[in-house]
Amino acid sequence: MPTAASWTELRRSVDDVGALLAFRASAVRRPSAFRLAALAFVVLTAAAATLPALLPGAGSGSGYALDALLLLPTAMLGLLVLAVASAVASGGGRELLAREHAVAFPVSPTTDHLGALLLAPLNIAWVLQTWVLLAAAAYGVPRGQLAPAQLGLLVWVAVATAVGQLVAWSVEAVRRTRHGVAVVRLAGAVVALAAVVLQVSGRIGTLLDELGATRWLVVSYVDGFGLRWLGAMALELTLLVAAVALGALPAHLAARRAARDELRVESGRHPARRLPRTALGVLVRTDRGSVWRAVPMRRGIAVLAVGPGLVALAGDLDWAQLTILPGLVASGGALLFGVNAWCLDERGGLWRESLPVGAGTVFAARAWVLAEFLLIASAITLALAALRAGAPGPAELTALLCTWLVVVLQVVSAAMRWSWKRPFAVDLRSARATPAPPVVMVACSVELAVVTTLTGLVFSGLARVPHAEVSLLVAAPFVVWSLVRLLHARDRWVDPVVRARVVTTVAG
Amino acid sequence: MSAGPVVDVRSLHVRFGEVEAVAGVDLAAYAGQATGLLGRNGAGKSTTMRVLAGVVPPTAGTVVVAGHDVRTRALEVKRAVGYCPDVGGLVPRATPWEHLQLAARLRRLRGWEPRARDLLERFELGDVAHRVTTGFSHGMGRRLSVVLAALHEPEVLLLDEPFDGVDPIGVEATFEVISDARSRGACVLVSTHLRELAVEVCTSVLVLRGGAQVASATAREMAGEEGARAYRSLLD
Repeated sequence: MPTAASWTELRRSVDDVGALLAFRASAVRRPSAFRLAALAFVVLTAAAATLPALLPGAGSGSGYALDALLLLPTAMLGLLVLAVASAVASGGGRELLAREHAVAFPVSPTTDHLGALLLAPLNIAWVLQTWVLLAAAAYGVPRGQLAPAQLGLLVWVAVATAVGQLVAWSVEAVRRTRHGVAVVRLAGAVVALAAVVLQVSGRIGTLLDELGATRWLVVSYVDGFGLRWLGAMALELTLLVAAVALGALPAHLAARRAARDELRVESGRHPARRLPRTALGVLVRTDRGSVWRAVPMRRGIAVLAVGPGLVALAGDLDWAQLTILPGLVASGGALLFGVNAWCLDERGGLWRESLPVGAGTVFAARAWVLAEFLLIASAITLALAALRAGAPGPAELTALLCTWLVVVLQVVSAAMRWSWKRPFAVDLRSARATPAPPVVMVACSVELAVVTTLTGLVFSGLARVPHAEVSLLVAAPFVVWSLVRLLHARDRWVDPVVRARVVTTVAG
Repeated sequence: MSAGPVVDVRSLHVRFGEVEAVAGVDLAAYAGQATGLLGRNGAGKSTTMRVLAGVVPPTAGTVVVAGHDVRTRALEVKRAVGYCPDVGGLVPRATPWEHLQLAARLRRLRGWEPRARDLLERFELGDVAHRVTTGFSHGMGRRLSVVLAALHEPEVLLLDEPFDGVDPIGVEATFEVISDARSRGACVLVSTHLRELAVEVCTSVLVLRGGAQVASATAREMAGEEGARAYRSLLD
């Protein structure tokens, strides 16, 4: 049995990662678009790390610049929490090569671990958080110390990502033991409860202050290039190497154990239920089963629905601020399967397509199940967030309900559009599976995040207007536009040539 | 043969972008008969079957199934056929019984449950009727696909690679389904690369190569060593 500590194994794994990356790159459908996206990522990252330093008051050590500097240690911890949550939810991170395809090749767990690390940045939450961190440093740190600070932060981002991966593999290794699922769920509940208790008792700020490691790092960054900075960099690089190397150990451990969640689903029994009375009813029921019985969807929705809700609860957001949440959750929910909605049928799509039912009814069922999935997730988030928000005024409540409806429609129409335009054959059995290749996922998530966040901001402003009917009036064109786009997506699906292309593609 | 063909294909072409998957197939299949589509991988057998099932529209040519043009009356075609696709053909997180319920509701079947149970038992799937199909072996999946195609006793039964990876009991059960269908007057089409099984169960065969039809013969002509040699020569 090879061990992660073996240098030969590590060298071989690095070579294998290179080969797998080359393989993935050769399968990119639009290489020019990919290169453009990569360039845009580099340019935007450079812009986030430098442009805020040119704003008035940047690096002045007072006002907002001081606030940004003081919040930097907490933001660094936030990135770490995000990296952990993201990697844990996806069962150890994304796969460089899908499990179904990897079985024929000697892909070691170390290779898998390194591949997942490389793919971790292809996640909109990670990207946004990193940009926010770099931008906050650019604004808060004095210009003379900006270069050492940004270098230190970039290494911290790598450390947080590697530690997230290490924790995720460890959780996955535990989850795959006999009572592992229960242990992990219990531990998750305890952590969530502890966070809520700390927040409600007002001790979270004190705790963050006492967790002085990131504060010490920030102090070292702003010291400029010197011994202290070198010490901080040495510590970060040591942590990085240690986390990357140690991550291979639980990755091997997890690989030796059966994925219990997935096996339980694969061997799951579901007693016969009464036959729905309508064609739409039976299609909806079938599609619901495809969604709610899939491990990635169940885990993803739990994190998506509960995570932002807890953050909102901790942040004590008011009703006007809550309008941002449905868009975030709906966008994330669509990324679990909606952006490639027809992939739910996988190879069953060919048989389903041979059944005598109107294509419009099939479309309606799939769009409904997606909408319902997003509504349920965002309802949980809003319910949690509303616990401390007090009683809403009519304008606030109307604005929130309008945002909720509008963003869900926006996301459903965008997802159903992408689903016919860019279908992919994917196997959603694994907790690590995604409905589209990582680069496509990032492109979709950027578009969804921008559109829904801007919409949320519009209604956040309207929540402060003391006339509820204004929100309704503003929501109407949004709703109509999304419905028109949804109907256009339906028209394309109803076209037998388009449908045949989609169905044969997702069937593989 | 007095009655006209139930499946009538003339100069069928199917193109996917630059690739011409089917390049001129003519086919006539009759009620009470089983026609085999033979050929190597990529010969165009599965694409032809998908067109007959109403799943893929033809690019050119005329395809009439049970009196309906697949291009303009796809829904009527789907009502008339029972289709076992070549790959998988199962919704991964649904149980066999849920597949049967879906088919029964969309096909407006009544009193279908006893036949469904009987078919599941004949294909030895009774014990897993309520288990999700994700964990099924390839052979189990193939057998269930045949059950789903046969449930409503269709006028046209389309079986694409029904014997692929299936154990002898499954093969026998599939033979029975084909025989039952023929005896009640259904038109059966079986696509396979297994000549021995095709000649055993079919009355005539059509050999495809490179998307085009290269020969048609009676099953008897394709049987035995002489048939094997003839078939082999048609593949190259």
